[in-house]
Amino acid sequence: MKLRTTVSALALTAAMAFGSNAAQAWSLEEAAKPYEGTTIDVVFLLRPGYEAAEEMLKDFTERTGINVNLIKHPYENALGEQVRDFISGGDLDVALVDLVWIGNFAENGWMVPIEEFTSNPDLADPDLDLEDFFPVTLDAFGTWDGTVYGLPFDNYSGLMYYNKCMLEDAGFDGPPETWEALKDEYGPALTKDGKYAYALQSKRNETQSADSFARMLWPFGGSFLDAEFRSNLNSEESQTGLKFRQDLMQYMPQGIVAYDHAETVNALAQGDVAIITEWSGFASSLKDPNTSAVADCIEVAAEPSGPAGRKPALGGFSLAVASQADDDEKAAAWLMIQYLTSKANAEKYLDLGGVSARQSVYEDESVRDKFFFADALVESWQEGVPEFRPRFAEWPEITEIVQEWGTKMMLGEVTTEEGAEEIGTRMEAVLDDAGYYDGEKPLAQ
Amino acid sequence: MSQSVKSPSMPGRVSRATLFGFLGPAVITLALIGIVPLAFAVWTSMRDYNLTKLARQKFIGFENYVTVLNDGAFWDAMGRTFTLLAIALPMQLIFGLGIALLLHKPGLGFFKTIARLSLVVPMATTYAVVGLLGQVMFNLKYGVVNQLLGFLGLGPFDWLGDPNLAFVTVIFWDVWQWTPFCALVLLAGLTTVPPEIEEAARLETKSWLTILRHVQLPFLVPGLTALLILRTADTLKLFDMVFTMTRGGPGAATEFIALLIQRVGFRAFDQGLASAQAVILLIITIVLSRLYISFFYREVHS
Repeated sequence: MKLRTTVSALALTAAMAFGSNAAQAWSLEEAAKPYEGTTIDVVFLLRPGYEAAEEMLKDFTERTGINVNLIKHPYENALGEQVRDFISGGDLDVALVDLVWIGNFAENGWMVPIEEFTSNPDLADPDLDLEDFFPVTLDAFGTWDGTVYGLPFDNYSGLMYYNKCMLEDAGFDGPPETWEALKDEYGPALTKDGKYAYALQSKRNETQSADSFARMLWPFGGSFLDAEFRSNLNSEESQTGLKFRQDLMQYMPQGIVAYDHAETVNALAQGDVAIITEWSGFASSLKDPNTSAVADCIEVAAEPSGPAGRKPALGGFSLAVASQADDDEKAAAWLMIQYLTSKANAEKYLDLGGVSARQSVYEDESVRDKFFFADALVESWQEGVPEFRPRFAEWPEITEIVQEWGTKMMLGEVTTEEGAEEIGTRMEAVLDDAGYYDGEKPLAQ
Repeated sequence: MSQSVKSPSMPGRVSRATLFGFLGPAVITLALIGIVPLAFAVWTSMRDYNLTKLARQKFIGFENYVTVLNDGAFWDAMGRTFTLLAIALPMQLIFGLGIALLLHKPGLGFFKTIARLSLVVPMATTYAVVGLLGQVMFNLKYGVVNQLLGFLGLGPFDWLGDPNLAFVTVIFWDVWQWTPFCALVLLAGLTTVPPEIEEAARLETKSWLTILRHVQLPFLVPGLTALLILRTADTLKLFDMVFTMTRGGPGAATEFIALLIQRVGFRAFDQGLASAQAVILLIITIVLSRLYISFFYREVHS
């Protein structure tokens, strides 16, 4: 899949580089002229990256005359709202695609492959340069089964945030390099006087499956599925990771299964916890003295490594043109997506609070100085795993199973083996029903 | 000036068209709002109907029902829901009756007016907001509940992170929100007791329990029956408050039946299975309501 993506990206880059004179004269204003007055509907989340994009869209509308109607939802509602809109032939012209929704959206034909637009010199920005996106982000957030549908827009990697002052007081001159060090050295030294060494957000929603469960599988060599798409959760590596999570809980605050992102970030920001592993999107609020009591002490690094490497949490969204839009709306939607994710606007997006997946913007020394999380982010994206969570259409069903039994494991209601057995059996039943075992569907995740 | 005065029509002489004209719109509206969606749910429950796999939807008869009836998660959720009902409903009725009897006592008119007004506040609060308030108030570290208990030297308790305490928190919140409703309905029932009978009874006995049992209770039975039906139906479909507060967790400790149906129907998008679960829940609710009515009304008639 990666190879095919890379080949199409190369072909497109070549086409751009040696394109016609028309391409050289391309401008957003000219490209948008036929679509002036068109209104496009798009779902946005209530997160910093979307506020940044909303600000940028004022300039877009001014330059193009294309109006953008933003429909804002919290993350938990965004999938349901979009699915209902797409199956009923609703108004959405752009699909906001979490990496775990892309298989679902692609299999249902709800998105248009970007090739339809990149092959149109009137619409394709000659500077689109797909190769400039971090490969893992384009592969994971925008590509399904070798076809690129969306461009990486709201991009995350798991990062390790730590309270430098607490670590120094305990005699450490830097953050842990490995998960083992976190448990065996930092854990005992930092868990005292009502403070804890580490907090792992584990609430029973996508946080449990993505932030907690999957985070402990991959660095230890585990995974959800093996090559035949059978459960790999009872493999030695997966079990090592899941047992590690249980052991690590002794250095986490009580009631960690009720911690979502807000509680975890707050625990670090209030100085109650020394280390957390959270999404890159929380960087600015942790460094902001208005929201963080220990802003001056907060530092960031890539997540610790396990025996199988770093393999940090990976998450993010792409924007894709919705198939249900009419031709004008499709063209207008593509121009908007291209604008928001362009190389030219990457720094502006960062300045306004978003996180760009453009490699070129981080090459600039001043940008890396300005955004304290940039180095850790770039390092993380070098080692990300696209299938950190399987991205096929069945994930919404499977994540519910993982959430329930993953939490039960943490609470000690079942052992890691029993929990893995339950998840495995139920997960395989879902995959069997979907047709993965009788060859009806390709083993793509 | 003289006018011919028509005698009012007798009911038997009203034409069918007139009857239909008056009743028709209401009946049709009710049918559209109530029966059509129900019929659609029944139809959906007999199909393999996943919103994200509509291309392969097909008629599968009672397969979804068989799946539901053999699903441990469904019966676990049902068990939790009935446990909640068995604990919360009696508490709401007992506390509600206590409050109603206090407010029914003569005297202290101003304070009773204030009390009656303040009773409206919990039940006027949106369910989801109650859940969000709970999430903040019962927070282990920053919640006001643990802070208050701390002044008494108790806690801190992990209200939302411990499976048993999370269940207790849901019961507490449900009782807090719905006891006032029970109190107001029962108070209304008490006001229907003819004062002269109540006064005569008070002359006969000083036991408030005897008065309650033999004089007031018969007047309270219609209200009690309505409360039982309404609160049972509401508890069986309790969703918003729990969803915003615990989301069914930790583990599955607070996954009541409505949360399970929402999870299956709107997160896993299996509308067929979720519809089968909802239809079974509806049947259980109807059976319980009939039981309440036949049991309590038989008692009042006897």
